[in-house]
Amino acid sequence: MGKLTIGCFASLVGSMSLDFAVRLAGTALDKGHKVDLWVSGNGTMLSIKGQRAFKDYSALEKPLKELMEKGLNVTACEACAEARGYHKENTLDGFKRHSMDWYLASSFDADRVLHIGGE
Amino acid sequence: MPTTKLGFIVQRAGYKSENPKLALTHAIASQSVEVYLNDGDIVTADIAFIGDGVLNCKKDQKAMDIYKLTSTETHIKMSLLLDLNVMVCKEDLDRFGMTENDIVLDAEEFGAELTVKVVPFAEITKMMEGMNHLLFF
Amino acid sequence: MKLAVFVSDYRLTVDTLDRLNPEKLGIILVQNGVYHATTKENGKPSSLLNKSASYYALIDDLETRGLGNADVADNVKVISYSDIVDLIFNEYDKTAWL
Repeated sequence: MGKLTIGCFASLVGSMSLDFAVRLAGTALDKGHKVDLWVSGNGTMLSIKGQRAFKDYSALEKPLKELMEKGLNVTACEACAEARGYHKENTLDGFKRHSMDWYLASSFDADRVLHIGGE
Repeated sequence: MPTTKLGFIVQRAGYKSENPKLALTHAIASQSVEVYLNDGDIVTADIAFIGDGVLNCKKDQKAMDIYKLTSTETHIKMSLLLDLNVMVCKEDLDRFGMTENDIVLDAEEFGAELTVKVVPFAEITKMMEGMNHLLFF
Repeated sequence: MKLAVFVSDYRLTVDTLDRLNPEKLGIILVQNGVYHATTKENGKPSSLLNKSASYYALIDDLETRGLGNADVADNVKVISYSDIVDLIFNEYDKTAWL
């Protein structure tokens, strides 16, 4: 089994790239792989708790929590989050925040990196 | 020493998109990644501007004067100061009628020793083949 | 280089794919990229399907858009998320998302 690092820089609402990233992460976990998920830029929207799950907007808090229980390691770019007013006290439990070097460190021992750019 | 090489490929123009800036700031983060790694482990970052991405390299950007934002030009200079390999595709510069005179080539004012390399796309392909992972922005 | 390229748009704003020439190329059509596998403009299939590559389209993103196996060009294999994981770990050594 290998390690997959996924970086996603696209926003939660509006592109569905994070929906793709989270589904891919879940599938890789189910197949026995280790998965790190890094969100940066507008992707940090994923880290905010208390988002209402309207059916017209992507809402990933529930599947994300389930994947974290299965071992998904998920981290947001702290500077990108702070720049958008997403503060630590509003961050989902278990969602880590680090500087950008965390993504590169995760890539260090990853067998594969899938970098999904932003808008 | 165990080394992982990352290739950052910038394909889009800046400012309207956050992609080019995030490419550069993440590449620059390769200089502080050791805190997460074991002694001797290394992550390197090479940067290549291709397609519309070469427009990021235009010199004399005044983003700080006008919008109070760090310019892409400054991020390129920081990359040079931190000894990152920065390549710009010659064919794409030619396509836009740009020459080395139009782009940021060095960061002498910051004391950087490396310079931007204007190279054919074939050289950038060779760089990509030598990387462990590619990140397209 | 064995490269798996994810194409997520129908109108690409970059020409990178035209210039990549890896030893082995896989093109994985996801999100609006699946329209390359199904859409003919003025009777012509997408020029993206003319490359020397293996083509894949994600069934979830086809069905989301009202499309299915029957709509997909003959040279495109319809795959699942599980297949994507296997492809990137077993068939290709690098990925690109365009």
